[in-house]
Amino acid sequence: MCNSMRTILLTFILFTSLLSAQDSFTISGTLKDASNGETIFGASVYFKGTTIGMSSNEYGFYSLTAPEGEYTLVVTYMGYSDFSKEISLDTNQSFDIELFENTMELDEVVIVSEESERVNIGNPQMSVTKLNVSTIKQIPVVLGEVDLIKSIQLLPGVTSNGEGTGGFYVRGGAADQNLVLLDEAIIYNTSHLLGFFSVFNADAIKDVKLYKGGIPARFGGRVSSVLDVRQKDGNNKEFALTGGIGTISSRLTAEAPLFKQKGSFLLAGRTSYAHLLLKLAGEDNSASFYDLNLKTNYGLNANNKLFLSGYFGRDNFDFSGNFKSNYGNLSGNLRWNHIFNDKWFSNVSLIFSEYDYQVILDFDKLDWVSDIKNYNVKYDLKYFANERVSFDFGASIIYYDFNPGEVKPTSDDSAINYLKLDQKRAFETGVYFNSELKVTDILTVEYGGRYSGFSRMGGQTLNEYEDGRPIVYNEDLGIYEKGNVVGETAYKKSEGIKTFDNFEPRLALSFQFNGDASIKASYNKIAQYIHLLSNTTAVSPLDVWTPSGKFIQPQIANQYALGYFKTFDDSSLSLEIETYYKTVDNRIDYVDGSDLIGQNTIETQILNGESKAYGLEFLLRKTQGDFTGWLAYTLSKSEQRTLGGEAGGPGINNGNWYSTSYDRTHDLSITGAYKVNDKWTLSSNWAFQTGRPVTYPNGQYEYEGQSIAIYSERNANRLPNYHRLDISATYAPNRRPDAKWKGEWVFGIYNVYNRKNAASISFGQNKDTGVNEATRTAIFGIVPSVTYNFKF
Amino acid sequence: MNTLTKYTVMIIVAITKILVMTTLFGLTSCEDVIDLEVPTETAHLVIEASIDWEKGTSGNEQTIKLSMSKPYFDPNGTTPVTGASVKVTYDADGTEFIFEDQNNGTYTTDNFLPALNHTYTLEVTYDGETYIAHEMLMPVPSIHEVDQSVEGGFDDELLDVNVYFYDPVSETNFYLIKFKEQDDMFPTLFDLKDEFTNGNLMTTFYEKFDDEESDEEAFVPGDIVDIALYGISQQYYNYLHLMIEQEEYGGGPFSSTPVAIKGNCINQTNPSNYALGYFRLTEVVKTTYIFQ
Repeated sequence: MCNSMRTILLTFILFTSLLSAQDSFTISGTLKDASNGETIFGASVYFKGTTIGMSSNEYGFYSLTAPEGEYTLVVTYMGYSDFSKEISLDTNQSFDIELFENTMELDEVVIVSEESERVNIGNPQMSVTKLNVSTIKQIPVVLGEVDLIKSIQLLPGVTSNGEGTGGFYVRGGAADQNLVLLDEAIIYNTSHLLGFFSVFNADAIKDVKLYKGGIPARFGGRVSSVLDVRQKDGNNKEFALTGGIGTISSRLTAEAPLFKQKGSFLLAGRTSYAHLLLKLAGEDNSASFYDLNLKTNYGLNANNKLFLSGYFGRDNFDFSGNFKSNYGNLSGNLRWNHIFNDKWFSNVSLIFSEYDYQVILDFDKLDWVSDIKNYNVKYDLKYFANERVSFDFGASIIYYDFNPGEVKPTSDDSAINYLKLDQKRAFETGVYFNSELKVTDILTVEYGGRYSGFSRMGGQTLNEYEDGRPIVYNEDLGIYEKGNVVGETAYKKSEGIKTFDNFEPRLALSFQFNGDASIKASYNKIAQYIHLLSNTTAVSPLDVWTPSGKFIQPQIANQYALGYFKTFDDSSLSLEIETYYKTVDNRIDYVDGSDLIGQNTIETQILNGESKAYGLEFLLRKTQGDFTGWLAYTLSKSEQRTLGGEAGGPGINNGNWYSTSYDRTHDLSITGAYKVNDKWTLSSNWAFQTGRPVTYPNGQYEYEGQSIAIYSERNANRLPNYHRLDISATYAPNRRPDAKWKGEWVFGIYNVYNRKNAASISFGQNKDTGVNEATRTAIFGIVPSVTYNFKF
Repeated sequence: MNTLTKYTVMIIVAITKILVMTTLFGLTSCEDVIDLEVPTETAHLVIEASIDWEKGTSGNEQTIKLSMSKPYFDPNGTTPVTGASVKVTYDADGTEFIFEDQNNGTYTTDNFLPALNHTYTLEVTYDGETYIAHEMLMPVPSIHEVDQSVEGGFDDELLDVNVYFYDPVSETNFYLIKFKEQDDMFPTLFDLKDEFTNGNLMTTFYEKFDDEESDEEAFVPGDIVDIALYGISQQYYNYLHLMIEQEEYGGGPFSSTPVAIKGNCINQTNPSNYALGYFRLTEVVKTTYIFQ
């Protein structure tokens, strides 16, 4: 292990010394939007007529190094006027650049598909898609509620588990295998109202980047994907108010400069109000949500900048007062960007995030709470060595505090006894190194690795089981049962229960030819140390996270991907074809009849399994012009298998491979937006998916006077195919060019041809006739919506 | 605790309803009965060997039912199994109770001797194959009280019946409670354990809804409900819990994948030709409640 780190460091030093031998100078600085001071991520910065160029980073920072000479510095970013300036590179210099939007109409209606969304042919990073919020806002959605998660589900390799369910599934991976970051803070649950909506308020978001494979070494901890969501910094030129009134919720965002434009802030709020109307209508049940986003930044001087971001969101359910529940995420991040010099960029972050829920059952007179908290310190460095090589390295430590459940009786006559499940603690560490090296004009290599560690800490008692087996196979009954407890071990708080470490190599290659086409290949290994316990088809807000430890091993994924990338028609059209193969070891699976509610000994309910997924993805995307959009198609397979192992017996599902519930053989989506004129924009999308794998009964028998269904193989059947067409039209009325108030109407129709897509099919006996029936539940038929957005 | 899954399901219904009511055109979510083709596997022997000893009776008369499983959508009645030999042995002294074939799928005896906390063995021989099961006869506490309420339950406006009983503190207990309104075609079953409520006054409610889809009607004064509370073994609880959960929520997004439910009657001759059903021995208390 240590050896491989040493090798990498050695390589690093070697490259650095080799390359710094040249006599070159560097120009660096920050790119900003001239109208609101937002930093610009992903703009192309280059010296005209050379191969020296790069994309600006997440903080708008760029750095170009070249031999002494006269150059034309050019910055291009779609939707903005090109910037160009003659410079004499005879010394290292700092130069900040402001870009101007190239349209007189400064509003959201203009279809601005930005440069940064285009496929980057030369960069070895593959399996990544960036969506700007302007693109996300164009996609028609149910009830007009702009939804980041639903937008990414239209990309190849990403699916949902059905309408009204939360989470997303990437390349055959599970929902808990996605690292979801909002300004670097981990978001544990991305859903509002169980998944009907998502927690991201589009008005506060700048852009989102999804890594499905070839995951850079700076990310770790989740095996399937990284969803990197960045909030806007806030307008630092002038006060701005944006908002919207929709069918389900309303939004208001305020942005303004602070301290003489040295800083700025953004404060965004969103709340649903449908439940208020229903209360008036005499409806006893209510469901509602709200969220708040905050971001503020302050530039101490040219080389130091502070950022503070925060998120707080909450869902509330009240079922006639008998059942109340609320849940939500809370996160905060304090960041310090420091530019050491024109080649060294650094960032240190202090991050906190929490997810918690509460359930109050009036009938059972109980109050149940559960939460997960984490504290994270992170340090990242970027070194732009020269025009051919750059380095990233850094370290991160996360402290987790898991409170899986505490149950309190709410009155003296409650039947419930006080119960607190064992609190769990752990540290997760990571150090990484990554380098991008332009070997030749054709070949670019990105290589690196992450060394991750995990220490499950004490402060709790664990059972000792007979023969060390927490779960055993009962040969007679053919079922898995709890193992016999033969003792207990108490672990002190300062004591570690179990530690793990893994070296995770990451490698990506890009072979570029003709300037507009490339072949890329990547490999990544990733370890995941925390797991979401869920034995249901869809994840629910009441699911609990649990750390690896004595009984649960970390999940280890290996993913190989290969792709072909090409741009046409002056880069306005791009084609991406990728294929991947991914395996995950130590994917836990739940035995038949597993009981996870209030479960203190999870190890008695699970077995250690594996999963694999492979597929072919196709994305044709048009990012410029009056018509923009994409066609995405995925052909894939995702399955899992769990053998009996130590517990004995054949395993789950007789030890046979079975489809995961997020396996979709075919997944096609076509999304388009067309700007008819200055007033009207039309958008549409059509989605088709193979039905979700389910288990149908294959017989019945009478028992206790009822008909009981017989089931056998897990997920051996499928729901009918899913398809749906949505349309929307955005209307921006005529207005004087100097008017402060700018408004637009968005009219949408979801599921235009009113297909009754089965979200589920349940089986049961008709209470009148006693005959068995299959009942289809379709969540959304045709749903019209109207939303009004404004900017002041 | 046991009601949580039900609540999760109901929340989805409520959210959908709320969303529906906020859209201009109303009806979006819907449930409908559809024609669906499902696979059919070979028929298996079903052993419903429920030895239930009602408190205060001798428990001599007992019935065991044998039938065959059939395709899921087969609307015809059960297929009774005749010609089998059925006997139960009292393990402590080897006393055998032979159940006579009534040639209609039932096998009966009138000389059974129940003994609480003792084990018995069932042996069924049919079609040249022998099935064997072991179980213990589990005791049950008395029902403390039965009453009705409007508040409580899932809906604050509908009548529900509540059953109260004291859970013994010294041991871990498992229960089956069966409710059947006398006009209904079949009973509703609830499984219960004292994991979170050990030694306390336990309560369970039964509420019915007005539901057009399933033709269910809420309780009204005058309705008569038969109630039975059974003491059951942990092993049988595991079986029932899975069965009840799958019958109630099977297929929904917040339910787990339905799986084969394996009973305790093991085919000794040909293990792969498994039997469905269960050999249980319980003590039971029964009562009837008339809504006021």
